[in-house]
Amino acid sequence: MWTIDGQGAGRRLPLHWFLVGVPAFFLLVFFVVPNAFLLSASVLKSENQVLTNQFTTENFTIFLTKKVYLLTILRTFVVGISVGLLVAFVSFPVSYFLVRTRSRFKGVLITLSLAPLLASVVVRTYGWYVLLDRFGFANDVLLKLDAIQERIAFIPSTGGIIIGLAHALLPYGILTNLASLSAVNPNMERASMSLGANRTKTFLLVLLPNCMPGLVASFLLAFSISISAYATPAILGGYASQTIATLIYAFIMQVLDWSLGAALGTILIVSTLAILYFSFRFGGRRAEV
Amino acid sequence: MLGLRPWTVLRAVVAAIYIFMLGPIVITVLVSFNAGTRSVFPPEGWSLKWWAEALSEEWIDPILFSLQLASLAAILSCAVALPLAFGLTRHRFPGRNLVVLLVLGPLLLPTLATGLGLLRVFEFSGLIGSMGFWTLLIGHVVICIPFAVRTIAVSLHGLPSNVEAAAASLGASRMVVLVKIILPLIRNGLVAGALFAFIHSFTDINLSLFLARPGASPITVKILGFLEFGFAPTLAAVSAITLIIPLVLVLLVQRSARLGDFIYGERGA
Repeated sequence: MWTIDGQGAGRRLPLHWFLVGVPAFFLLVFFVVPNAFLLSASVLKSENQVLTNQFTTENFTIFLTKKVYLLTILRTFVVGISVGLLVAFVSFPVSYFLVRTRSRFKGVLITLSLAPLLASVVVRTYGWYVLLDRFGFANDVLLKLDAIQERIAFIPSTGGIIIGLAHALLPYGILTNLASLSAVNPNMERASMSLGANRTKTFLLVLLPNCMPGLVASFLLAFSISISAYATPAILGGYASQTIATLIYAFIMQVLDWSLGAALGTILIVSTLAILYFSFRFGGRRAEV
Repeated sequence: MLGLRPWTVLRAVVAAIYIFMLGPIVITVLVSFNAGTRSVFPPEGWSLKWWAEALSEEWIDPILFSLQLASLAAILSCAVALPLAFGLTRHRFPGRNLVVLLVLGPLLLPTLATGLGLLRVFEFSGLIGSMGFWTLLIGHVVICIPFAVRTIAVSLHGLPSNVEAAAASLGASRMVVLVKIILPLIRNGLVAGALFAFIHSFTDINLSLFLARPGASPITVKILGFLEFGFAPTLAAVSAITLIIPLVLVLLVQRSARLGDFIYGERGA
């Protein structure tokens, strides 16, 4: 028998110990240990670009007292919230359309909405540079329309980061809302309307409460991915609009200060854990295999 | 039925969102055929010179590097994921939830932090000098495992466990059951899992960012490095190539395995 645990328990180790044990050990060594190292480095002092064994909380107080860093952390969360809201509300109509449409192109449309996931974020951000650059397409069009008198640099800017990230994460939002919307029976909407509720009332009182978990989950997913995104802020944000991720890169790869880099990494990990807690608690998201 | 007008409005909104979603990607591809020297849209005339440059050694080498990395990461993460998925779907044991969290961990925690942590560990253990393809591969396998496990688990859920019991009761050994019965039946799940892992690895930037070394850097890291010096149309052509590779793979796999089952399968899994 394949499943021998139980009967053979006394004599040999149950099979699942090996099935699960070996891969779990791999993850323990190359996932848990690295993250633990990172967390521990955040409370250690660095001297002359070398991490020492001295305990300190200075790494965190620096971020909370220096205005530049505080601003960067704040900007990262503003970006995360904006991207989360944009992704949730822009992906919702698409998912709703995809679930309810009877078009014979439905399959093609679903594939097209997920296709951007095949491209690296680096690739997907490139197009935004071409569009938003001072000498880019958006400026050309606006000049031609006489909407602006001289060229505007749309990037680098925080707004650029938000647009680029919202664009990159939209497929995740569509996928998440698709899952929650396809569980809503269309007859409920019809029943509500036939009982005299108008469209707005049906939407607000019948549809929305039923797909709230999907909206919340897509917000949290987009938020948690965008606070630790590196490529888009690096390309569209520039030095004036640093985020936690680009600041970490600067600390680790350029300044070689592990303490400060690790402290910022810890802030990312803790924020992500907090979001996960919320999504398990309120978003109905389950960690299952 | 829904009335005509709100539905028409919804269609227009959705069409606009599709343009928003696909526009920048289409623009990138079009810019790569630009005759001018700047990355502008619409292109100032057409030419293939940027593609010729993109196909030179300088760019083909990192693309091949990424291909090797992603292929090996896909195979190895599936090799690690298969027993994990089996153990998790077929057995209930104390600490199972902890293992589930461990497996999904690389997906739940920021990849950036995992990359940073791995760099720290390699530095700490004195491996910093010998970092290269193998250290990148380890990291990529770690971040691909959740995708592989979830996908394979979906197909194992769809496979009744008495199939194995039947084969075993007819005298098949464990190895025979695995190779002759289980693997063929979950073939689609394995292929889809490997594909998702491949795409995840091939498009990754947050992990490779810290583990890449000169001479051993994936194409995404290389493109990002060049973007800092300006947006040459060559990069658009290179980007287009990196988009084509997973696209062709998906189209090839889609012919034999229905990928949609595994994408939506997340819900039921």
